[in-house]
Amino acid sequence: MKYSRVWRRGDDSCVKSMLTCTCLCTSQQAKDVCQPEWPENGGEWSDGEDGTNMDCGLLQAMAEEDEEIDVHNEETFGMDLDVHGTTEAPGDLLQFGDLPPPPPPPPPPPELKPPSPHGSPSPPRQRPQYLSRAPPGQRGRGRAQRGGLGRGQMFDDPAVMRTVQGRPSIKGLDSAIVDCGDAMYQNTFEDDYMAPSSRKTRRVSGSILQDSAIVCVIDGHRGQHPTSNFLDTPYPVSPFRGRRGELRGSYPRRQFGHRGLSRMHPSVVPGSPILSRQPLTPRQHYNQTGGFMFPTNRPCPSTQSLPPKMMQHRFGANSPRPSPIYSPSSNSVQHFRYPGPVTQLHPQHKRLLSQKQRIFQRKPDNWDPYCNLMTAKEKEWITRLQMIQLQSEHPYLEDYYYQEYYRRIEAKMAEEELGIRGKREPLKLTTPYITKTDSYTPVVHIEGSLGQVAVSTCYSPRRAISAVHAVQGKGPHEEQKDIRQQRLEVLSKIEKLFVVLLEVEETERMKTTVLSEAEERRLREKTQAKVQHIYSQLQHHEPLDSGGEFLPFLLVSKGKRLLARLLPFLKQDTALRILSIVTCNLPTLMSRDTEEALPVLYPPLRNVIGGLTFSQLIEALKDFTSDSLTCESLTLACQNKFGLSLLYALLSHGEKLLSSGVPLEPSIGDFETWTDTIFQVAGQLSQCSLVEPLLLPSNLLTLFCRYLDKRTVHQLKSNMESATGYLALPS
Amino acid sequence: MMLTLSLVGKDVVVELKNDLSICGTLHSVDQYLNIKLTDISVTDPEKYPHMLSVKNCFIRGSVVRYVQLPADEVDTQLLQDAARKEAMQQKQ
Repeated sequence: MKYSRVWRRGDDSCVKSMLTCTCLCTSQQAKDVCQPEWPENGGEWSDGEDGTNMDCGLLQAMAEEDEEIDVHNEETFGMDLDVHGTTEAPGDLLQFGDLPPPPPPPPPPPELKPPSPHGSPSPPRQRPQYLSRAPPGQRGRGRAQRGGLGRGQMFDDPAVMRTVQGRPSIKGLDSAIVDCGDAMYQNTFEDDYMAPSSRKTRRVSGSILQDSAIVCVIDGHRGQHPTSNFLDTPYPVSPFRGRRGELRGSYPRRQFGHRGLSRMHPSVVPGSPILSRQPLTPRQHYNQTGGFMFPTNRPCPSTQSLPPKMMQHRFGANSPRPSPIYSPSSNSVQHFRYPGPVTQLHPQHKRLLSQKQRIFQRKPDNWDPYCNLMTAKEKEWITRLQMIQLQSEHPYLEDYYYQEYYRRIEAKMAEEELGIRGKREPLKLTTPYITKTDSYTPVVHIEGSLGQVAVSTCYSPRRAISAVHAVQGKGPHEEQKDIRQQRLEVLSKIEKLFVVLLEVEETERMKTTVLSEAEERRLREKTQAKVQHIYSQLQHHEPLDSGGEFLPFLLVSKGKRLLARLLPFLKQDTALRILSIVTCNLPTLMSRDTEEALPVLYPPLRNVIGGLTFSQLIEALKDFTSDSLTCESLTLACQNKFGLSLLYALLSHGEKLLSSGVPLEPSIGDFETWTDTIFQVAGQLSQCSLVEPLLLPSNLLTLFCRYLDKRTVHQLKSNMESATGYLALPS
Repeated sequence: MMLTLSLVGKDVVVELKNDLSICGTLHSVDQYLNIKLTDISVTDPEKYPHMLSVKNCFIRGSVVRYVQLPADEVDTQLLQDAARKEAMQQKQ
C-alpha cells in the first residue's frame, strides 16, 4: 500500500495537491460547474498502476500539477494563500477542480479541500499517488467504478484536490486535524451520518478550499454509489485491520439506506480528540465516503471488495460507524473557522511541522499546518488504546443500544438483500472480545490490617475498609490472629459506643434550651439509658477472659477516651467502680499505655475522687499500696505521670477531708490505713525520682507535715519540686 | 471540608497522587477540595525542578492524595467526633 507514495517529496511544494482531496461538494450545481482539472481521461488512467509507482516522473508531474493548483488557487482565492512561503502558489490547499468555492448550505464547512486539478491536467493524473489508495490491486476496481461517473469524478487521484462530489473530509473541517498522511478521518462520515437525506453533492466551499487542514483525499463520490462496498473510514484503527473480523465496537456505522449506499461512516474512534472535532456537515455529500484516501503509510484494508480508494478500514464484516461522534459535532463544525491559507503558526509549530514533514510524506506547510503532528505509529498506538478501551466482556450490557441496533439492521438487511454479497452489511466496529476475565479478589486480607484492605478495581473503585471481624475457629496457629481479632472487636465496639456517647453529649448540650418538665425528664431518661448501655457494654466484654470488666477497653487508648467522656455522665457509684478498676489495674494500664492516653482519664477521675467519702478513699488507696510486697504499684506510679497524679489526687482529697472538719464517718481501721499509707507514700516519694505530675495539689505538703518530721518533709518537698520545677508547695 | 476551611492561612503539605508533595500556605478551599496554595515549595527532594519558579498554585481536588495538616492546629478528638457524626448521618 502505497500510501507513502507521493508524499515522499522532498520539497514542500509537493503535496498539496495530493492531499486532501476530499471532494467536498457543496452543491449539486457546483458539481456541474466544477470542471475537473484532472484529466478528463480519467478512464484512461491505467488501472494497473501501482501506488508504489512513484518515480521521478510522477514527482515531476506532481510538481507541475502543484503549480497549476497554485495558479488556480491564486485566481480563485487570491494571493494570500501561500503563507508559508512554499514554492507552491497559494491556495494549494483546497483546490477544487474549477470550482469556485461554493458556499455550503449551512455554514461553510471547511471540509475537505478537494484537490482541484486545475488548469492543465497533467498527464500523470492518474497518480497512484493517492495516499490512501487502496492496495494496488484494488485500485483498478475503484477506477472501474469510477468510470461511470464521468468527468467530474475524476478525482481518483487522491492527490488531486478536487472533489466534485465528495464528502468533505472531516479533516478539512478542522484545520487542526491533519495528517493527511493518516487520513483517519473520513469526512465522509459526517455526511452520511448527518444528512441521510441529502444526497446533494456539494462542492467544497471556498472556505474549505482555503482550508489547509483538508487533507484527506477523498475519492469520492464518483461512482460512489452504492458501491459501497467500500466502507469508508479511514478509521484510525488501522492497526486493527488485521482483526477486522473480531473488532466490534461502539462505532456504529450508519447505513443510509436511502442513499442506496451502504456507506459506512468511517469508524471513528470515539475518543479521538481529532475526530470529535470533526465537524459533521450534514450536507456533505454522502457519496464521498468511499473516496477517502489516506495519504497514509498504512496499507489499505485488504478486502477485495474495497474500492481502491477506500481508505477506510474495515473492521470486521460490519463495522459500524461511530455515529454518535458526529452528531454533536456536526454543528460545531459549522462554526469552525479555519485559519485559512494564511495561517500564522508559532515558530515552534512550524519547526515541528517541517520536521514531521521531513519524516512523512508530506504536504506543504501552507497546505496543512497541522498535519503530520503525529507519526503513524503514534496514531496507531492511540487507536489501539482506544480500541482496547472498547473491549468488553459484556457487550450487551455495556452497549446495549448499539448491539441491538445493529442486530436489527443486519437482520433487516439480510432479509432485504439476500442476493447481494453483503455489500450492504452495516459496518460494525468490532473490538476483540475479552475471553478471559481476570478474577480479582475484592477483599484482600492482609495480616495485621484492620479489616479488609481496599482493592481497587474498575468495578469497585474503592472498597471501604471495614473493621469486620470474621469469627474464625481457634487453632494453634491462630492464636495471634485471635488476639488481633479481639482487638478489632474491641475497637469496633468502641466505635459503636462512641456514636451513642455523641448522642448523649449532644442532648446534654441541648439541655440549655428550655424544655417542658416532661420533655426534660424524658430526655434525661433517654440519656441515662444510653449511658447505661455504654456502661454495660464496656463492663462486659466477650470473651470475658480478657481480664475483667472494662479492662479491654481501658487498654485501648480510644477506650480510655471513651470512658473519660463517659464518666461525667455516670452516677457516683458506677464511677467509683471505674475508679477502683483503674487503681487496681494501674500497673497494667501504665505499662501498656504506649500512647500515653492515660492522662486523659485524669480530670474526670479527679472529679470522681473529689466526691469520695473517706472510706471510699481509703479503699482506693489500698489498691495503690496493697499490691505486692514490694509496693510495686507505688513505685511504678511514681514513675508514671498519671499514676503519680492519681496518687496525689487521692492524698490531696484525703487531706481535704481531714482538714475540712466534716465528720468523716470512717470505718474501722481507716485512719490507720490512712496513716500507713501516708508513711509509705512519703517514703516512696522521697526515694524515687519523681516525674512531673499532671497536677500538683497544694495541700500535699501540709499533709505530710502533719505526719512526718521536718526533715522528711523537706526532702519530700525538694524531691517533688525538682520534679515539677517550681515551688509548688508552701513550705 | 470545614476542617480545611478552618485551616486557611496555615501551612500544609499537599501530597498528590503523582507523589509530588507541595508545602504551602493554604489560601482557599472549595467544595471539591480544590486547593489554592500560596508561597509554595516542594518539600521533598527537589526532583521536580519545574516547580522552582512557582509561587502560587491551584491544585485540583481530585489529584490530591493527602493533605498533611499541622498537628497543633487540629483537634483530633473533635475531628474524630465529626467523622463519627458524619458517618452516622450517612447511615441514616
